[in-house]
Amino acid sequence: MSEKSEVWQGTLALMVLRTLETMGPLHGYGIARRIEQISGDALALNYGTLYPALLKLVQEGAISSEWGTSENNRKAKFYKLTRAGKKQLEGQRRDWEQATEIVARFLSPVGEG
Amino acid sequence: MRTIKALWMRFRGTFATDRAESEMYAELESHLEMHIEDGMRAGLTEQEARRQALIKLGGMEQARTAYREQRGLPFVEQLVSDVKYALRTLRKTPGFTATAVLTLALGIGANAAIFTLVNAVLLRNLPVSDPRMLVRIGDQIQCCVQEGAHDDGNYSMFSTHTYQELKKSNPEFEELAAMQAGFAPRPVIARRDGGQETAKSVIAEFVSGNYFRTFGLRPEAGRLITDSDDVTGAPMVAVVSYETWKNDYNGDPSIVGSTFWVNTKAVTVVGIAPSGFFGDRLTNTPPNFYLPIEAMPVLANADYVHDPDSEWLYIVGRIKPGIAWGPLQEKIGVQLKQLFASSRLFSSAHDHPLLAKTHVVLTPAGGGIQYLRDWYGDRLKLLMWISGLVLLIACANIANLLLVRGMGRKSEMAVRTALGAARGRIVRQLMTESVLLSVISGMIALVVSYAGARMLLMMAFPGDQRVPISSGPSLEVLGFALCISTVTGVLFGVAPALTAAQAEPADALRSGKRTTTGGASLLQRGLVIVQAALSLVLLVGAGLFAQNLSKLEHMDMKLDTTNRYIVHFNPQAAGYATTQVGALYQMIEDRFLTMPGMQKVGISTYTPMEGNNNGWGVQIQGQPDLHKHASFIKANAEYFDSVGTRVVMGRGIGLKDTSTAPAVGVVNQSFVNTFFKPGENPLGHRFGIPGPASSGDYEIVGVVEDTSYTDVKWKNHAMYFVPLMQRPASAKRPIEKDSMLYAGAIVLQTSHAMPDMEAIARRMLMGINPNLSVVRFQTFSAQIADRFSTDRMLSRLMTLFGALALLLAAVGLYGVTSYTVARRTGEIGIRMALGAERATVVTMVLRNAMMQTLLGLAIGVPVAYGCVKFVKSQLFEINSVTPGALTIAVGTLLTAALVAGLIPARRAASIEPMQALRTE
Repeated sequence: MSEKSEVWQGTLALMVLRTLETMGPLHGYGIARRIEQISGDALALNYGTLYPALLKLVQEGAISSEWGTSENNRKAKFYKLTRAGKKQLEGQRRDWEQATEIVARFLSPVGEG
Repeated sequence: MRTIKALWMRFRGTFATDRAESEMYAELESHLEMHIEDGMRAGLTEQEARRQALIKLGGMEQARTAYREQRGLPFVEQLVSDVKYALRTLRKTPGFTATAVLTLALGIGANAAIFTLVNAVLLRNLPVSDPRMLVRIGDQIQCCVQEGAHDDGNYSMFSTHTYQELKKSNPEFEELAAMQAGFAPRPVIARRDGGQETAKSVIAEFVSGNYFRTFGLRPEAGRLITDSDDVTGAPMVAVVSYETWKNDYNGDPSIVGSTFWVNTKAVTVVGIAPSGFFGDRLTNTPPNFYLPIEAMPVLANADYVHDPDSEWLYIVGRIKPGIAWGPLQEKIGVQLKQLFASSRLFSSAHDHPLLAKTHVVLTPAGGGIQYLRDWYGDRLKLLMWISGLVLLIACANIANLLLVRGMGRKSEMAVRTALGAARGRIVRQLMTESVLLSVISGMIALVVSYAGARMLLMMAFPGDQRVPISSGPSLEVLGFALCISTVTGVLFGVAPALTAAQAEPADALRSGKRTTTGGASLLQRGLVIVQAALSLVLLVGAGLFAQNLSKLEHMDMKLDTTNRYIVHFNPQAAGYATTQVGALYQMIEDRFLTMPGMQKVGISTYTPMEGNNNGWGVQIQGQPDLHKHASFIKANAEYFDSVGTRVVMGRGIGLKDTSTAPAVGVVNQSFVNTFFKPGENPLGHRFGIPGPASSGDYEIVGVVEDTSYTDVKWKNHAMYFVPLMQRPASAKRPIEKDSMLYAGAIVLQTSHAMPDMEAIARRMLMGINPNLSVVRFQTFSAQIADRFSTDRMLSRLMTLFGALALLLAAVGLYGVTSYTVARRTGEIGIRMALGAERATVVTMVLRNAMMQTLLGLAIGVPVAYGCVKFVKSQLFEINSVTPGALTIAVGTLLTAALVAGLIPARRAASIEPMQALRTE
């Protein structure tokens, strides 16, 4: 098995929000699978930490939950992005982009400007 | 905003419902199923798929725990579970819980009750605006009207003239107000005009026009007294107190503007004083009415109001900000000296040197004039100490109980540690338990405190509901009680908790229960010894106070109280002129004597064992002035018989001693001892107020036995008695102004007890004149008993505290002894299996218990001897621990210890050897 990265502190929420933005309402297992797929199976996601993270987002009002039926006709809890969640995602995306840009500038080859 | 909302959601999540829990189960279950399904689709067996899914989840139980932690607030959740667990544990040991809670509640409650009183009497300010700026000129409590130079030169009461001069010349005060010093003993008679109401004796205080302004008060209704009311000839007005308005007139608003007949003169009520204002001092007789000083000569026929030498006013001022007290005090002292320099009172050779000593002391008056503080201050402090001791004993008890419990739970803690409980968690759990215990106790203590304060108030002011002290615990008391209880709980909860948590689980589990030495620890035994010592001290104290009371009550006062009743009345307030009272007294004697069963009717200015006293300087004619005083009473012919005073020489006052007969006096034995040489015959000598004109006013015609007036502790109390209607030849005042002709009491002696005498007396006086109301009615013995109410209160409280201490000490001893027995069950079993007698076992256990008590005695007895000096001032002629008090205290303590030790000892003796050995 190849070396897998741990999920960084605080980024899991961002991934969840982004996943729900692109996929629409989804259950916990689906979210977990989707995150792993997007990362090209490069992330080692402990599923047990996903549910507290989802609960935290619900408590903060960023997502809401509802029981529904899965594609395999199984009862599952579906999560959906709320308006506040969309705003939160926008803010976090900006922050993240800004941060990566700064770090990237530090790491880029010397001699520019 | 978002975080607050999230926090709130989590707080709600803390009290998770079953539904939230099952939802979580369902969600994780559905997650697992989906994962397994995927795995099986990829070709895994169901078992392998499940295994991998669970690994990916990080374990089902762990996932649930992480979820739960996010759902609620783990800290709050733990606290809730700790409290729940603690409650369950406390419920499981009801004996321990009840003992601990009761011990703490009684200890704290007693303290809080006493603190309520201390707070009200010693600490609280008057309900007026900015009380810190109020200053009193003077530091002593005096009453009621005085004249002349003081030996120490310190003045606290002033004449109207002096007040006005001081007010004029001291701009350092924003306001300087004056008020009657002794209004309590001089009630007035008031009746509302037009109503059905009968005339009532009420308390009125005469105050200066700026009185209410000085205190910064606003009226509840109408207006307050102003300067223009306090002028000779102004229309007479009064302000009624809020309490009187509410209680006696049902809050009737039409009282403002209505006319009252005060001492038969018309007075208009112009306003109601603000609610909560009980006057300028805390007393059990707060004023019902406030009247201007200048109304006093008219209403109360008091000529001393305008006499520049009669001192009768207290002075309280509102000082301007930034004024230093020291120089002001000096300045007022100098002003006073200048005022006195021109007074005739300082002209005599004896008194002139006293002028140089003249000074005043400024005292803070924010708490009012310290009337009760003067009476109860020392006693309250004593009670504080005593209740503090009881609390100490209670705390020792709690410490002991918790220690015993902590050690008993050693193996429980060991098991919990072995099962992986963190030490911090165990300590937190035990602390929660202690704090919970103290909070419960603190709440019960508040109830105890409320009841206790009520009881104290009733003891301190028997039969008086008018004391403006609330027995409800104030915020300060609440804080005080909770503070003590929490500190106690934490302090004595921590020690056992730490010991328990530090134990190595393996050791604790291995050592099991069999032990011979592992009885109570040194600390525990020490606590029991201290408890025994302290309770002995309190028991000795209780004994001394009980002895003191019985000594006072059984002192031979040389009075006869059987079938005697005392009716206080006020002919002056009923509108009688001094020229009319002779006929009135005659009528009272005649009417009462027609009653069947009536034997004697005495009439006098004062009666034995009442609070008041009137003293004058006395000189025997032809002898030098000794500068000594004697109390002075005017009485009718049957007075001596009515109170049971015996004549030992010459004669008493007779029917022939009328206003026109030569003035005579009857003196008591102490008078003879004070003013005559031993063996000298006093009969025939003349005496009077010092001075050539007056020292021959009365001829001594008889000597009576010393009887107790005012106070049984007042020994060698020189007194003289003069016929009611006789005036001294030197009297300068016209008869109209001679207020000494007004009697204050009627003493009735009957052939048998008459329970309805009060109603009869009221009817009889009303029949003579509707304004002649009864100021106070008491049986003679009740009047005497009243004089002991403080001593009785102290004695009862000491007994109460002593009993409490004894009970607590006994519980402590019982706790430690039974703990030891429980620990040594195995050992005792072996001893008995080896042939020890049951009696030997009992002796062995008892010996231990009694040893601790004896050690306590050995410490307590010397401490008790040492403590007597703190209470000596409250005792009468008791200077050391009496053998009686000591014997009873030691006996009681030993008996209690014996009982407390015998119960566990018998339990030890009833141990069945086989049973004991099997309980491992």
